[in-house]
Amino acid sequence: MKILYHWLKEFVAIPLEPRELGSRLSLAGVAVDAIEESPAGPVLDAEITTNRPDLLGHLGVAREVAAIVRSSFKMPEAQPKESAERAGDATRVEITCPDLCGRFTARVLRAVRIGPSPDWLRQRLEALGQTPINNVVDATNYVMFELGHALHAFDLDTLAERRIVVRRANPGEKMRTLDGIERVLTRDMCVVADARRAVAIGGIMGGAETEISSATRNLLLECAWFDPISIRRTSKALGLRTEASIRFERRADPEMAERASRRCAQLIQEIAGGEVLAGVVDVYPSRQPAAELELTRRELLRVMGADVPDAEIEGILRALGFEPQRTDANRAGHDSLVAAWRCTQPSWRNDVAREVDLIEEVARHHGFDKFPPRLPAARQPARRLSHANALDALRERLIGLGYQEAVPIPFVDEVHDVLFREEAAGAPGIARLANPLAEDAAVLRSTGAVTMVRTLEWNLNRGQRNLRLFEIGRVYGIEGSKSVETPMLTLGAAGLAREKSVHDSPRTFGLEDLKGDLETLLEICGGVQAEAGGPAWLQAGRAMRLALVREKSALSAGDTKWAGAGGQLARRVAERFKLKQDVWVAQLQLDPLVRAFAAHRAGRHFVPLPRFPAVERDFSLVVADGVTFGRVAQTIRGLAVPEIENIEAVDLFRGGAIPAGKHSLLVRVTLQSHESTLTEAQVNEVSARIVAALEREVGATLRTG
Amino acid sequence: MSGAKSNPERNLAELGATSAEGISALFVEVRARFDRETGQLAAGDLAAWTALRNSWLGRSSGVITAIGDNWLKPSAPEQKRVVGKLLNELKAHVESTLEELRVRAEAAGETGAAAASGTDLSLPGLRRALGTRHPICQTLEELERIFLSIGFSVVEGPEIETPYYNFEALNIPEHHPARDTMDTFYLSLPKGSPELLLRTHTSPMQIHTMERQQPPVRIIVPGRCYRRDNPDSTHSFAFHQIEGLAVDTDITFCEFKGTVEYFVREFLGPKTRTRLRPSYFPFTEPSAEVDASCFACDGRGCRICKQAGWIELFGSGMVDPAVYGFVNYDAKRLSGFAFGMGVERMAMMRYGISDIQLLYQNDVRFLRQFV
Ligand SMILES: [Zn+2]
Repeated sequence: MKILYHWLKEFVAIPLEPRELGSRLSLAGVAVDAIEESPAGPVLDAEITTNRPDLLGHLGVAREVAAIVRSSFKMPEAQPKESAERAGDATRVEITCPDLCGRFTARVLRAVRIGPSPDWLRQRLEALGQTPINNVVDATNYVMFELGHALHAFDLDTLAERRIVVRRANPGEKMRTLDGIERVLTRDMCVVADARRAVAIGGIMGGAETEISSATRNLLLECAWFDPISIRRTSKALGLRTEASIRFERRADPEMAERASRRCAQLIQEIAGGEVLAGVVDVYPSRQPAAELELTRRELLRVMGADVPDAEIEGILRALGFEPQRTDANRAGHDSLVAAWRCTQPSWRNDVAREVDLIEEVARHHGFDKFPPRLPAARQPARRLSHANALDALRERLIGLGYQEAVPIPFVDEVHDVLFREEAAGAPGIARLANPLAEDAAVLRSTGAVTMVRTLEWNLNRGQRNLRLFEIGRVYGIEGSKSVETPMLTLGAAGLAREKSVHDSPRTFGLEDLKGDLETLLEICGGVQAEAGGPAWLQAGRAMRLALVREKSALSAGDTKWAGAGGQLARRVAERFKLKQDVWVAQLQLDPLVRAFAAHRAGRHFVPLPRFPAVERDFSLVVADGVTFGRVAQTIRGLAVPEIENIEAVDLFRGGAIPAGKHSLLVRVTLQSHESTLTEAQVNEVSARIVAALEREVGATLRTG
Repeated sequence: MSGAKSNPERNLAELGATSAEGISALFVEVRARFDRETGQLAAGDLAAWTALRNSWLGRSSGVITAIGDNWLKPSAPEQKRVVGKLLNELKAHVESTLEELRVRAEAAGETGAAAASGTDLSLPGLRRALGTRHPICQTLEELERIFLSIGFSVVEGPEIETPYYNFEALNIPEHHPARDTMDTFYLSLPKGSPELLLRTHTSPMQIHTMERQQPPVRIIVPGRCYRRDNPDSTHSFAFHQIEGLAVDTDITFCEFKGTVEYFVREFLGPKTRTRLRPSYFPFTEPSAEVDASCFACDGRGCRICKQAGWIELFGSGMVDPAVYGFVNYDAKRLSGFAFGMGVERMAMMRYGISDIQLLYQNDVRFLRQFV
């Protein structure tokens, strides 16, 4: 809200320059963001928190200022010269919905001359960002900004039977508001009506048919109090927020209604002439006695941890209108530990209803800076998340492998999301937003792949060709009426695995790179195994399903629990993203990786270093296509020779002297004994068994020369 | 080497040198020849140096060996002393000179060889392109480390929440004006299902944690939150927060202040000053905004702090006793504090990032900057 420095000065003596005042207000909780000059003097732009409707008027801010500078505070004059005729004889007010409207006051003014407002008033309204309309409407606005309470002036002669009924709107009842829009009302909305029809949406906006015009002579001045929740509901339902609704929905001060009306009548009389009828028609069904509150020093100390002197406590609470009275037995003692004060809750401070609220009032005006800082006592060890170590280790490796970490927003287009979904039985449903901001961000992603492909797309479209990215983040789903959030690790790559340089030749990223990166990464989880195949969003023949060795070994033979999949993005899917390049994506559930990491960590044991030299033997084989290295290695391992330490594929080629339908595979076997140096004869014997087994079981022939 | 008067292949008698002066003159001549030959040696020519060394110090055919064999050995006893002394002097001169030349030749040879083979050390080495951690994750890690160091444990919670945990249990009933500041995404669910929403802050984990455990509580909750704000340079509909909560029998505003000040100094530097400004949040009382003295101008006022000298960091306060009511904590005996800071804001401040959207585009040119 905008606050005029000179306006404040009408209520409180301010020994501070505007800038200094702004900073003192900020430190007391009225955040002043900026100070500007205007024809009406300096304007402080303050952010008013929603719990303080009393600060939506200059009077309330002046009260805070009085507490800050501890000076006296004066209410604005509100004494119109009243004529003999009584308002109660000129109009009648009835409230049929006291749950929605807690108070309604009406004053009547006659023979008012509608015209422009005087310059001083126009200037003030303009400085607050308001457009002056005419003297009567301006006066109601002026008083609202002065006292924080909204008012409304009706042309009395347009009101049927010149009387007011505050009631619930009839279902489907229509009314044209001041802004010219026809509103359709519902039963839970409160309207101000005359004998015939609704003439205002209570506490929100007046009607067009009864507004003040240049022809208006007689006024009915409304100043009421409406239920905050009802105002909020109505305002939301109609999409109509006004200065009035903002004040009522935060709970305006019901006691202020009559005073604001009196003040406004006086102001109208001053600037528009006319006659103010005597008295007010005041229907006040929700009147409540002021609540009593207690503040004790014991509780103040328990919450704040440091003391505030008696005089300070009493000075602050008195300035803010709490009327503190010492009530403890030790009343004579200064700063007694058992000191207690009985306070009265002011009608404008509904937010202060408990002892802790009083403590806050004292603390903020005493100054938060006066409380000494201390660190809390240590009571227990601090723990990281249980999976923090695994994530650290995975991230460390991924970064070492050249992958950059991405953090995407998990909202995607459903059309894109479904491209990556595997419709397995029991898979959770799509988590759709009920109120998305945009159609292309209307669902929470169900895979990490969809956002990874979007990220690759973003970079490829910006000339970044060689990409390696990873993300650790959640994917979402709905199972019945419950949500499921699953953490995932997603990798993405495109372009070159090795860039050209003066030292090196270029090499395109391929399936073997993705597989190699995953193998290197998942060493720390005990290894990963790949099998051909994968979900439909991966290109057939360039896709693999991934299983963790640790999980696999726990299952019976033939059963596999897939931890994820990876490979080249299917052409069909890539085209949907207009990607011309080959793009590689792998996706793994994180929880199994974390479990495998912990198990692998726990299972690490030292193996004595070999004391005898190892021997390598190369086998140059010719095998039929379809005989994989895996089968060759399995056959060799099947011999169960304890000295066989390692089996590697060193070279693979087709063509040349190799007949069609076959290929040459160079396999290197490392033999290692922990008991002795292997003799030539021992090595030859093992080699012969290997050759025999390969010939027998996979139809390999040994190439010579 | 032959033909000269000082030919070492001949003996002294053949050379006609019998007097001490005659012998001395022979040695002067030999030494002058050595100096001449070394003077002609090309810098860096290690092969020429080796040849020279062999011709003078070679064990079987070198000049020094020859003088020993032909001049020293056959000479008469009284001459032997003179020849021996002069030979030793000559040998010392030859050895030290050749050693000096070797060091020089090798040094020169290295530079020359490098130039010849084309090594250009201004070229970059063969590097491996390593990845980088996302600046949000780096910031989260830094924040976590600071709070771990003063005894706060890390917990996590769901991003999809119920209105009860996101609002009601945090003292934000339906129709509370504070809900306006947290525009919320709701999930679309079958009719009759209980409402689910995307949490608007990490605060629901305050409630989950207190439901699960008794005090003392010292936790931080890093995580993603969502608000239905139209994206611009300071708003993103998904963002990260770190929530903090400490509840105990002896936590007061002073402990709250001490924790916040410790954090600010750790994160922004030991000279940074902290200011607590009264504010309002439904789940804290008293509530405070935490401001830090501007890192750019040290509080004098600049463009970054809009001349205020202070930068708003995050909202915080003492836990409102109403919240304890929702988790069956004894509000008369317990007290505590809570805070919730925006991680993006911290990262943007730390790295001078002006547009929050950059953090989510994952442009590799951006990511590479945070090595
Ligand atoms: Zn600054």
